[in-house]
This record gives sequence, structure tokens and C-alpha cells, in this order.
Amino acid sequence: MNGGPRLDAACEKVRGHLDSYLSRELPEATNGEVLRHLERCAHCAAELETRARVRAQLQAAVRSAPVPGGLEAKVRRAVRGEVARPRTGLWAVAAAAAVIVCVVLVSRLRVESNPEEAILGKTSGRLAAVLNVGLRDHLHCAVFRKYSKLPVAASQMAADLGPGFAELVPLVQAKLPGDFVLIQGHRCSAGGRQYTHFIMAGGGKLVSVILTRKQPGESLSGGIHQAGVDRFQVVGFESHDYLAYVISDLEAQQNLQWAANLAPTLREFLAHAG
Amino acid sequence: MLFSKHSRTDEFEEVALPHLRELYRTAVRLLGDGAKAEDVVQETYLQAWKSFARFEPGTNCRAWLFKILVNTIHHHRRNWFNLRRVPESEEILERTAASTAPVPEGIAREEILRALDGLPADYRAAVLLADVEEFSYKEIAGLLDIPIGTVMSRLSRGRKLLREQLSELARSYGIGEGGQDAAREGRV
Repeated sequence: MNGGPRLDAACEKVRGHLDSYLSRELPEATNGEVLRHLERCAHCAAELETRARVRAQLQAAVRSAPVPGGLEAKVRRAVRGEVARPRTGLWAVAAAAAVIVCVVLVSRLRVESNPEEAILGKTSGRLAAVLNVGLRDHLHCAVFRKYSKLPVAASQMAADLGPGFAELVPLVQAKLPGDFVLIQGHRCSAGGRQYTHFIMAGGGKLVSVILTRKQPGESLSGGIHQAGVDRFQVVGFESHDYLAYVISDLEAQQNLQWAANLAPTLREFLAHAG
Repeated sequence: MLFSKHSRTDEFEEVALPHLRELYRTAVRLLGDGAKAEDVVQETYLQAWKSFARFEPGTNCRAWLFKILVNTIHHHRRNWFNLRRVPESEEILERTAASTAPVPEGIAREEILRALDGLPADYRAAVLLADVEEFSYKEIAGLLDIPIGTVMSRLSRGRKLLREQLSELARSYGIGEGGQDAAREGRV
């Protein structure tokens, strides 16, 4: 690439070893060979300097990334939460352990027997947990529930949504691609949580737009988050006091496009929602 | 044994938490997203704490934590695929907001990170672990569960690609071979 100096076969060979030389990973004999060559070849010595400099730059760049302020405290809390247990003696500890074993066994059984939980059980992590809030309702109410796929009457939809969210119906409908219809708009609950839920269908695909009030500790701050799990694509963002989701079995890019089309409308609406 | 549980937590934090920074920055570069990296680092520590009983004092705690990190990232990727913050999302959400992108501090670092992030994931992991975190080739083979020959070939290709990109960049800046200005800035 440099084009300058003429390199002979010895230079080529040494250059193949320079990075490992910097990492002190060369066998002794090869190390000696490289050293001897560097003593008499200014070009390769300069190349070594360049590589050392690039490595130093790379280290400085990666190490300059700031660690989020609260991360250490979160880790401490998580670890300490993990060991929190009653301090009432050995028997209490043993009893607690037995309960944990039972809970784990029961939850395993649930995971195996319940398709919603089987999918949700595949996810982990804080961000994933917040995306799961929406996914849970989509699975529970749009995917695994038995219901008519014919559109509900507008008056019924308005009643199902209640006065607060009925006004969203025309706004959502205005953003639908031509081959999709809004088949349901209602309030529902899953996992003990309340949701406002719109279900759209078209071309054999189901799309949910889901709104739910944020609960303490939940955040999708920093923009729009996108992920896939199993056959579902999830896009989530937060808006005012709400978490908003677009979830479907569309392609990732299509699902994101839906979210991009709907996000400004939803945000504007939620800004004025109670 | 049960009575010493609390001090065991202290001991865990004492040996494990000093590596938080290294784990986080590696996770950020491997996952390409700060929020995901936070999740993965938290999970790493929880996993580490759960298996701390099997950790032998005096052995390499750092390598042990990195191994858990690598496994956690692997697990994370397998389940939630493509979990990311949508890059253009601020514009989507704030359609009316005028675009006044802040001038990044230390542009050279930004560019280096972009070049690194552009490497194929396998090469990027090898380069990060060797050239930034300074693990030995043998340790990396253990961390990534691959033969040492594979570590060496990934390193060789990854470093070459990175060098090529940086030298292109230096040329586009009109900087001579290697980019000394960038180097100076990078070492601050």
C-alpha cells in the first residue's frame, strides 16, 4: 500500500510476524530473526513503529468509551439482590432453597406447556425485558387468542377502546398500507398489565400497535429499539408516560417502516393523553 | 459457610468489579450498542456471581469474566437477533427537530472506532481481545472456543483490514503514512 520502499522476501516474511512480535507471541527463534532483521532494515523498523502506533490509537479509542454512570451500582444491586434472603437461620435458608427449586420447576413446566412463555423465555436482559412487555401482549392477544379476523364495527371499536383512545382509530387507519385493515382496537390485559391494542391484518400477516403505561424502572430511552425473536419483529420506543410497540411477523425492515410511519402520530397523541 | 455469605459478596465485588470497565467497552464494540452492552455486562456479573463458588482465588478472574461475557453475548445473539437502537430513530421521533449534530470530540477516535466496528464480527472480537485487552493468543482460543490457528488467522486478517481502512482514512485527511495527528489525539 505504501508503495515506497522495495521489499525483499526477508522483509515480506518479517512483516508477517510484526504484529505477533508486538504481542510477544513469537517463538524465541523467530523473535530473534525478526530482531536481527529490524536492526538492519529501516523500512521494516518504520513499519513496526507504524503498527505500534496504530495499536496504541486503537487502545486509546476503545478505552475512551465512557462507562455509563450507574452501571456499577446496578451490577452491585443485581448481585446483592441475588443473595437477598431471610436471615432467620439455617432452616429458613433451607426452606427458601426448597421454594426456589419448586418455583424453578413449576416455571419450567409452564414454559414447556405455554407457547407464549416459551417465546418470552427465550429473551433476557433489561432492554429485552422492556421489549417483552409489548411482545407479551401481541402473543397473548393477537397471536394465540382465538378471535374473528374480520374487522370489528367502528362503534364497537370505539367502545372497546374507551373515550381516551377511540380518537386514535382514524389516525392509525390513515397510516395503514393499502393491503392492511384494522381488525381490532381495544383495551386488554396480559400478565396483569393494561394495554391499548390495535391489530391489523393483511396478506396473511398480523401487526400489533401496542401502548402501555411505563412502570417504574422501565425505559426505552435513546430512540427506537428494534429486535427480533422467534418469527416476530419488535420495534419499541417510549413516548411521554407510555411505551409504544409495533410488533409483527413482517420482515424486520418492513416492521421498522411501519413504526417509522406511526411514531410521529402516536407521539403527538400521547403527548395529550391523560 | 452460610454465615460467611455476606463477606463472600464483598469478596466477589472486590475481585470482579474492577473489570467492569473492560467488560463494558468490549461488549459495546462487540454488540455495537451501549444499552445492550449494559444488559450483557449485568448478566455477566450475575452469572459470575452464581458460579463464584467454583471460582478459585488466585486464578485469572479477568479471563474468567471475559469467558462469561463472550458466552453471554453468544446467548444474547442467539435469542434476540438484531437487537439494536435504530440509528436514525431520533429523526423519526422528532421529525420537526432541526438537525444540529454535535461535532464529535476527537474525530480520530470516532473514525478508528468506526473502522473497528466495520470489521466482520469474528475478526473484531479477536482484534479487541488481543490488541486492546491484551489477552494471549492461547487465552483467546479458550475464550472464543476456537483453535489457536483460527485465532491467528482471524487476527492476521482483522489487523490487515483495520490497517487498510485507517491508511485510507489517513490519506483522505491528507495525513502522511499512518496519520501522526490522529495518533497524537488518540493518546490524550
